Amino acid sequence: MTILEKLKKISHKEPRIRHFCIQTIRFKKFLENARALLDLFDDGHEKVLGEYIFDRHYVVSLIDGVVERLGMMVYDACVLVPKSGEGLYVTYDKHKLTAGNLIGGTPGSLASAPSASDDPEYQLLSDVLQWFNGKHAPDDTTVMGFMKQIFFSVIQFDAIGGIESMDVMKTRALFENSGVAATDMGIYLVDLWKDAQALPEERRSINDFNSIPLKHLLMDVSGKEAKTGSENIQNGVAWVAAVSEYQLSLNSLKPDFQFRLETLASGYEHSDFIFIFADKSAILDKILPAGFHIESTDYGQFAWYLDMSAKNIEDSLMIIGRNLLS
Amino acid sequence: MTKLLEVLLLDDEPIVGRRLKPALDKIGCRVEVFENPKEAVARIDKKEFDIVVTDIRMEEMDGIQVLEHVQKKWPRTKVIIITGYAKMDLAREAMGKGVFDFIAKPFRPDDLRRIIANAAEALGSPIDFSSINNEPAE
Repeated sequence: MTILEKLKKISHKEPRIRHFCIQTIRFKKFLENARALLDLFDDGHEKVLGEYIFDRHYVVSLIDGVVERLGMMVYDACVLVPKSGEGLYVTYDKHKLTAGNLIGGTPGSLASAPSASDDPEYQLLSDVLQWFNGKHAPDDTTVMGFMKQIFFSVIQFDAIGGIESMDVMKTRALFENSGVAATDMGIYLVDLWKDAQALPEERRSINDFNSIPLKHLLMDVSGKEAKTGSENIQNGVAWVAAVSEYQLSLNSLKPDFQFRLETLASGYEHSDFIFIFADKSAILDKILPAGFHIESTDYGQFAWYLDMSAKNIEDSLMIIGRNLLS
Repeated sequence: MTKLLEVLLLDDEPIVGRRLKPALDKIGCRVEVFENPKEAVARIDKKEFDIVVTDIRMEEMDGIQVLEHVQKKWPRTKVIIITGYAKMDLAREAMGKGVFDFIAKPFRPDDLRRIIANAAEALGSPIDFSSINNEPAE
């Protein structure tokens, strides 16, 4: 069944849970497009090292690919946070203009670092990489800088899937009234597809969910579940996890601890990843295992790990789960 | 002394010839570079090359036409097609017409050198492949 067909089947029994599920799924698309952009960056960097034979068509295709994916990210951001649209599209238009100038202009016009070669194709690719993420370029002129801005627009206003993220009490009440609190763990669990169609008739345990990343995340937490559970009953549930067989979206509900984890664990290395956004106070070194790319920004911390093997993603989620939930 | 492999290299993007010629010279090829397919075909009419390496998409004459011309004139010559970015459909068409091999841009010089080595072996003039792997990166 396609995503569209699944969405069409979603009923109106609990519109806010349905909205939460749709926003979570849209955020996954948003991440896919961001990931595709990072892949384009990596491809361009690899080619410019000087070992490759490529022509102008390759560079133009790269530019076109960046413009297309950037447009998809902006579109996703506008769906997630409609009020961000106008500002993002203004900046996007500037990037389209830069892309057009790169294709139609003279290589070297962006004052990029000298390329490994005098060939105009290499110079053009160096210019493109400068536009992507030039170290000496102002952050608001680079694609990477714009990506961070888009992320912030989404994360800031959409911390838990667009459901009144600034009002924690209402959010908790929504999940509590929807009957999605797990019986054996201090966590709300939402089945991305089933709960969007009909709310659960009785409370479920972790074992009722066939979600590979969720099982990995809780693998090393289960032995302490009584302690964690009792603590959370006293303090109120602090996490909501939206899951499907291969996906997990984990969000903190604590007002003073913003943390969002998104992962795909399908077993296909090239597509599997973990993405994390955390506020500036989170000490990611103590939460994440080695291997993550971490970017600290004025908005908060972004961390990601792409192309993860099944073993790697299992180990990483287990460590993150232990450090976060125990 | 080993006989030099006679190679004609045709691509309308100057960067290709500029970067590949020195890489192929190092493995015992005598390379003639062309950017204009009609000039390349005129040269093919006069000289039998061991290997012709040609881009597939060019103005005036495409790589498939060059392939057909070579096959008619010099059946022994091995033709290797360079395909542009994401033009694998054309590459498949070329394979159906008897091209020796194809390579898709972007590629490393070593990737083409390996194919040239295979073609040389098929012609009965093998290249010492260890000398290719010991070459420093371009």
